[in-house]
Amino acid sequence: MTARFGRTELPEDLERVLRKAIRLQWTTLAILAVSVTLVFLTMGNSQAMKAAWIEDMLSFAPPLAFLIAVRIVNKPPSEGYPYGYHRATGVGHLVAAVALCAMGTFLLIDSGMGLLKGEHPPIGSVELLGQTVWLGWLMMAVMALTAVPPVILGRIKIKLAKDLHNKVLYADADMNKADWMTAVGSILGVAGIGIGLWWADAAAAIFIAGSILHDGWKNMRGAVTDLMDTRAMTFDDGKPHPLIGKVDDYLRGLPWVESAGSRVRDQGHVFHVEAFVVPRDQLPPLQALEAARDGCIDLDWKIQDLVMVPVAELPAEVGGRRRHQSERSL
Amino acid sequence: MRTKFVFLAALLVPLLAGCGLKMPSDPEGTLDRVAGGTLRVGISHNPPWTETGTGSGPANANANAATGTSSAGTGPAGTEAELVRAFAAEHNARVEWVSGGESNLVRRLERGELDLVVGGLTKDSPWSKHAALTQPYLETSNGQGDKEQHVMAARMGENAFLVELERFLREEVQ
Repeated sequence: MTARFGRTELPEDLERVLRKAIRLQWTTLAILAVSVTLVFLTMGNSQAMKAAWIEDMLSFAPPLAFLIAVRIVNKPPSEGYPYGYHRATGVGHLVAAVALCAMGTFLLIDSGMGLLKGEHPPIGSVELLGQTVWLGWLMMAVMALTAVPPVILGRIKIKLAKDLHNKVLYADADMNKADWMTAVGSILGVAGIGIGLWWADAAAAIFIAGSILHDGWKNMRGAVTDLMDTRAMTFDDGKPHPLIGKVDDYLRGLPWVESAGSRVRDQGHVFHVEAFVVPRDQLPPLQALEAARDGCIDLDWKIQDLVMVPVAELPAEVGGRRRHQSERSL
Repeated sequence: MRTKFVFLAALLVPLLAGCGLKMPSDPEGTLDRVAGGTLRVGISHNPPWTETGTGSGPANANANAATGTSSAGTGPAGTEAELVRAFAAEHNARVEWVSGGESNLVRRLERGELDLVVGGLTKDSPWSKHAALTQPYLETSNGQGDKEQHVMAARMGENAFLVELERFLREEVQ
């Protein structure tokens, strides 16, 4: 795979980061496959284990979405897709978030009903090396085992997500990082059954369902706002992306520019920039405009698709006083 | 973060080990009550696994009078009835038999009026939502050549009792 996002060629160090992220996501899938199998084999009648298993199944979605998206965004823009394929990331993000919300809600209702009806989960035994062993011990062992790897993976992935400006990777890493809570929750639930507290299992399942729903909600908000073309934010949606200010500052610093402001939307990994500039006296020659555009693109690899619009007055959205829509800039 | 995780694990392990002495245990204390006491068993007629005869327990006299059956004269017979007697003997418990139809017995099991239901039940039994089926203790094949995995039904969530019964069945049937 050539490491590029559409027409955007990645700087060499980022290319390495991307390859590392792809490798890590394959590792994640492999570890998930093992843990899903183990949890399924020991799940028995525990609602908490069922919830943990469903969460593990859902955890397949973000790495898959990431791996598919890096392939799709690789395609350069075409006549049919003039903005390129970057939004594939956002679509993957939304699909994963909706799945999380749906399953979280289902589990919350399912476990809540179990608690209300006072269902006592039966957990029997298995024969292990000629000994009768309570299945609960195996459940706790499996959950303790599957708790650790995602936390480590998540902590590595968060750094890569920041460098690559990839929100799907960030969401995935964030979920992985919180995964140990699911494991500890189901261990406590099963241990609760073990000491005769029948409700501990359903309570643990409700806790896990709540965490799935929380993840789903957070991701859905992020994915929807991105698809709504909110202004570009940092990879964790913490604050407006500093590049917006950098572009404006750069343009304002040019000798022929009176004032400047830009609309920047996040297409996935890369930004789409519409920069409005008010010339000082009259329109400069074409070379000056092109030089200004190249200057902006050189600011950061995320800026490649930039449209510069010379206007008489800045539109309101980018800090001007003009009340017209930006498109009606004449 | 990592230190917090290690700390938590360190905290959990001895905690679980401490509980390990009584894990699993019964929310309703079935196993403790049965030991040295009475094992209340629902039995539905399904030879050769279970044959309801004249009862040996007090609750059974009425049941048998109602159905009018009296085959052996010493209480229910059949392989599962024998297994239940041996299990009760191991725990110094007296068996109180209640005969009836499967659905009626399972309902009484759910209400906690019975500890155990036998009647040639199999793993595919529709009662799995209402009763805790044991691990299959025996596999046979029926006339059509289908596999039948035989189980007994304990009360939901009485896990110490369930595990003890499964251990007994494993050792007894091997």
